[in-house]
Amino acid sequence: MDLSLTSIRSKGKQLNMSAEMFHKLSAFLTLMILIIVFAFGNAAFLSVNNGLTVLLQTSVIGLLGIGMTLVIITGGIDLSVGSVLALSGTVTGMLVKSGMPVVPAMLIGVLVGAACGLFNGFVITKMKITPFVATLGMMLIARGVALQLTGAAPISRLGEAFGVLGNGALFRVVEQGANGFPRVVFPGIPYPAILLVIVALAGGYLLRRRRLGRHIYATGSNEEAARLAGVEVDRTKITAYALSGALAGLAGIVLMSRLVTAQPNEGVMYELDAIAAAVVGGASLMGGVGNISGTMLGAFIIGVLRNGLNMAGVSAFIQQIIIGFVVILAVYIDQLRNRK
Amino acid sequence: MSSPPSGQTPLVELVDIEKHFGGVRAVNGVSADLYPGEVVGVLGHNGAGKSCLMRILSGAMMPSHGQIRVRGEDAHIASPHDARDLGIETIYQTLALADHLDAPSNLFLGRELRTKFGNLDDKRMLEEARKVLHTLNPNFTNLTDPVSSLSGGQRQVIAIARAIYFDVKILIMDEPTAALGPSETAMVADLIRKLKAQGIGIFLVSHDMHDVFELCDRIMVMNKGRNVGSHPIEEVSKDDVLSLIIKGGLPDNWVPRNREVAQ
Repeated sequence: MDLSLTSIRSKGKQLNMSAEMFHKLSAFLTLMILIIVFAFGNAAFLSVNNGLTVLLQTSVIGLLGIGMTLVIITGGIDLSVGSVLALSGTVTGMLVKSGMPVVPAMLIGVLVGAACGLFNGFVITKMKITPFVATLGMMLIARGVALQLTGAAPISRLGEAFGVLGNGALFRVVEQGANGFPRVVFPGIPYPAILLVIVALAGGYLLRRRRLGRHIYATGSNEEAARLAGVEVDRTKITAYALSGALAGLAGIVLMSRLVTAQPNEGVMYELDAIAAAVVGGASLMGGVGNISGTMLGAFIIGVLRNGLNMAGVSAFIQQIIIGFVVILAVYIDQLRNRK
Repeated sequence: MSSPPSGQTPLVELVDIEKHFGGVRAVNGVSADLYPGEVVGVLGHNGAGKSCLMRILSGAMMPSHGQIRVRGEDAHIASPHDARDLGIETIYQTLALADHLDAPSNLFLGRELRTKFGNLDDKRMLEEARKVLHTLNPNFTNLTDPVSSLSGGQRQVIAIARAIYFDVKILIMDEPTAALGPSETAMVADLIRKLKAQGIGIFLVSHDMHDVFELCDRIMVMNKGRNVGSHPIEEVSKDDVLSLIIKGGLPDNWVPRNREVAQ
């Protein structure tokens, strides 16, 4: 009896896994195929330096994608992340420029992002405005504030400390060359990549092991059922949007730190890359479905695609066209799977 | 238990409940009560206000006016959470399940078991769910599948399990057998008798006359938002109930069924 129960249970788990694993596997294979194709196209693609470049580029989209995934699972969408990224980055830049130490200025930047997300959440749950419209409004508001604060001019010369988060790396090995110039032996693991891994693990833990995560899925799956079961649906949604905003703020700081310049014009259309990463990773815009590891795969597919196409000399316009088709194809394949 | 025992405190008293939607009075001055170990059938047309009344008791809706007393004390039920704290559980006609989650997650939704670090205790929830689901349906094995892939009967079993697993005192069942086959319907009937024997009070919303006469001790019939008749089940016949549902009143020259037999 006991044995048969465990066998049934493990069988059920396997089935469950294979259904979810299918998407992961196909996304992973896509990523591998892309890497192989680009490696044949350009020898420099597989170099350590280029790998790190991809990692850096993906970390911003990845951070945005994690927040976007939380929101998409609740059945919503956050179009404001690109603008919130710019606002948080410029606020941080201005604070640093005015003499505030880098760390508290960056914390305030993240809080600005969280506040924008909180506002989104309130507009959506209390004013009952659809997420699309509410966050579209915030997209304009945050961008407008960033431009107004700075007069649309970038803030540069922010000092070396401001650039550490975006440009620094762990375990970087530099030796003094014979000619007196430093030579980089191992470029190290960039801080943004480490940050992405930490946030991704935290996001996965939140969704899988915490009550809030369970409620995020339940809210997106069937909002009325969740409410009747005693789930604080409004609070769950507000938290999801606030986290998305905070992560957009974090991504903005990483990006501006990498440029060592606060650019109020940065991050235009980044929300679309973040949505694409989540959707390619298996999240459903209908809500209730999605996970962090899938979104990470999606972010890397888009990152590798961008980078590889760049190195192959494909124009930015053609890149847009290709990524557009990839998003449609990914969702189509997922629907085919679900219809079975 | 032909008539409610006098002197005993009712589990629930609804006093003069009203619910307005704009100018429409969905529930209009309805009073009702429920005693321990009693099954009260709530009948009426679609739109007669019975679901609305039940939603008020389960905390899904706030009344515009009126009073709810639970075990003799005034109760303020502002949310499903409040209702559950008072031991009021509801099985909704729509089952109210989150389709993408599995059976244990649905069973414990809003009341998740957690480890001492505050993490979800999925292992214990799975074990507990297995126990309670097996008592209701021994063939229930696919506990880790999303409930969207389960049959109507299995989904119903989850909805029922969710209501009885926790310390239920007052159970609201909204058409519990509508989606079920004959054997599962019999299971629900058995369950109702078992819960009744444990002293749990049940409001049974049903359209099925057979179920009502089989299981209920009393009926209350709603028509156009009003309670048009509360009767012990022995007093009325199926025709009387139909008359109450359709006409909103008993047939002319009505005599209680049990006294009629006695004559």
